Amino acid sequence: MEALLSGLLSAPVFLAPKPWEDWSLFGEQVVLGLLTGALYALVALAIVLIYRSTDIINFAQSEMAMFGTFAMWSIWLSGVAFFSNPWVLLVLAGLFGLGLGAVVERVVIRPVEGKPVLTIVVVTLGLFLVLNSVATWIWAQGELPKSFPSPLSVLDSWDIGFASIPEHRVLIFAVGAGAMVLLGLLFNYTKVGLAMRATAQNPLAAQLMGINVGNMLTLGWALSGALGGIAGALIAPVVTLHPAFMLPVLLYSFAAAVLGGLNSVPGAVVGGFIIGVAENLLGTYTPHAILGPEMSLPLALMLLVAILLVRPTGLLGERTVRKV
Amino acid sequence: MEMDIWPFLALSLGVSGLVRLLPWGTERQRVVASLLVLLAFMCWAPFVLDNFRLIQMTRIAALGLALLGLNILTGYNGQVSLGHGAFVLMGAYTVAVLLDRKEQLNLIDASPWPFWATIFVAGFLAAAAGLVIGVPALRLSGPYLAIATLAVMISFPIIVRKYGTFTGGSQGIAFSRPPTPPFLEDLLRREQWTYFLCLLALLVMTALAWNLLRGQFGRALQAVRDSEVAAAAMGIHVARVKVLAFVISAFYAGVAGALLALMTGIVNPETVDIVQSINYLAGIVIGGLASIMGSIIGAGAIVFIPSDAANQLAKLPFLDPDMLRRAPGAIQGAVVILVMMLMPYGVAGALHRLARLRPEQVLAGWRQVPALASQALGRLSWAWDIRPRARQGPGSHNPKREVVGHGDGGSNRPTQDEMTKGGQ
Repeated sequence: MEALLSGLLSAPVFLAPKPWEDWSLFGEQVVLGLLTGALYALVALAIVLIYRSTDIINFAQSEMAMFGTFAMWSIWLSGVAFFSNPWVLLVLAGLFGLGLGAVVERVVIRPVEGKPVLTIVVVTLGLFLVLNSVATWIWAQGELPKSFPSPLSVLDSWDIGFASIPEHRVLIFAVGAGAMVLLGLLFNYTKVGLAMRATAQNPLAAQLMGINVGNMLTLGWALSGALGGIAGALIAPVVTLHPAFMLPVLLYSFAAAVLGGLNSVPGAVVGGFIIGVAENLLGTYTPHAILGPEMSLPLALMLLVAILLVRPTGLLGERTVRKV
Repeated sequence: MEMDIWPFLALSLGVSGLVRLLPWGTERQRVVASLLVLLAFMCWAPFVLDNFRLIQMTRIAALGLALLGLNILTGYNGQVSLGHGAFVLMGAYTVAVLLDRKEQLNLIDASPWPFWATIFVAGFLAAAAGLVIGVPALRLSGPYLAIATLAVMISFPIIVRKYGTFTGGSQGIAFSRPPTPPFLEDLLRREQWTYFLCLLALLVMTALAWNLLRGQFGRALQAVRDSEVAAAAMGIHVARVKVLAFVISAFYAGVAGALLALMTGIVNPETVDIVQSINYLAGIVIGGLASIMGSIIGAGAIVFIPSDAANQLAKLPFLDPDMLRRAPGAIQGAVVILVMMLMPYGVAGALHRLARLRPEQVLAGWRQVPALASQALGRLSWAWDIRPRARQGPGSHNPKREVVGHGDGGSNRPTQDEMTKGGQ
């Protein structure tokens, strides 16, 4: 019986690296996870931004980012020398997202404002279908996936002693962290940021204080679109460009946002990093024959559901009490 | 005799509509008679439609079941699920595995099952999966549930690809479709036989759903949707009702998946992808929430919009036909958004309102046209409306709408409550 058991456990199916056998591998995976986590935190922040101010989950977030990134790809190929600079493209991706977010809020979301959750969920899903389909028809001819430029090399990496870190991941982290800091400054130290927070907290009172609530909502969507656009342009060089390339990112970010609590900004950032690290560790330290890297998305999602069951409001989310 | 599908549908719906609306007999007699007439037309369909249209009709019957299941969960019980594609896929795989790979299951009896038994197995397996997902779903609501079910839908094909020994990995399973039973072999082609099989399943399961939903359980479902606290106070076991809704709905989806698999004879992870799964939700919203008829109309919409709407729109001079044909999702998404803005109760809700109209109400309605037109113009103004305005929470009133609501004839419009319950 014992022999059978030990034989079973050493079967190739269950073989997986153990963290204590190689700590530098563990360290590398954690660092890589933190770097990717910045991307998830960025998109999770975009989701939370909209959810806090309008109680809407934007299921079209990924497709808005995908659309913007494809637009940047077209600009990149346009032949104008100025646009062949990847840094310019990154900034333009943010600006494009800003505009797209504002237009979407005004044209698609505003008419269904205040309707039941299902209505709004379905409208954002409709937007998902439209953007996905339009992008397929404009850009998905010829060979897919398409390559997208990065300011830093995707292949080269830096050696930091115990781990080698791809340059591009550092860029993702730096830009992501930069965007988050800027957003934090905007919310905490400017009048517009104060107005946006007031709108999210109590729209009626904010309006009575003379805040243009409609504009604040539009601005929230615009900022969220910008974050998504930057995230899309950041990850595109790694995963290459095709109409579904943002969907896994969106799912990890949903997991991050829900994990941290949908109405908590710090929660989104913390959740993003946790999900990033968990994705890498689950992919590395689970037996590849039965789980392994390609199962890290289902595993991360299962983790998400498990956490939701224990804490339905997420780690840092506030409990809302509803009067009936 | 050959007919195109549109004249055929117009004829059948027209005749059954006439039977329903002409002044004879009691209300109940008219409804039953019109349904029988419609059924007769549907039985005639496989002999007048060409093969492509017949396959489309078969798909509508199968998808109608999936949408009916989703509607029981989302429309009647208010639990938003983006993951119904996973149940459908599960039903399809159950049939494929039982018909093709049974020897790998290491069961004692390795001879292939009769196909009709696999349909039941598919339904019950999906129902068991519904139970597994429905219990944790009790803790989640609104957007959280939507995200969790989306996660299920995304994960399922990945899992199917990973464990390829059973499921054939990315290639899936191709199996030989069940032959036409011997006593029908002379009468029906294979496609016609599949159509009748799906139609029969749709009939039986629609009748079951109707019976279930019109009674105490249906009222409990809707009570839980409208207010869990109030429902619990009325003595409804909220948790049991919500889990049961999930189980029943998954059963319907599993049967639909089984039928889809029997139709095509091939199942792979792309049989139902995430866009399809979203389409199911879009379908019940277009057709009408909390309505059996709406589910079937919705199935029609998600089958016909990609195949026909693009071709029709391509006739417009300013649109490029090639582009439209390559982007059926764009039209579908646009239809979904417009329906949500203009007809929040879907096509079935609109039809239900039409059927309840009386001549004097129509006259009263005409008198309302100027007010409604100005209201519509007012609604358009959001695009350039930069005045500060409050968000309309569920409790707040829209002063514009209230003015119209007090106009003459306003009280003739059905209340929200009436419309959600109607159209069965």
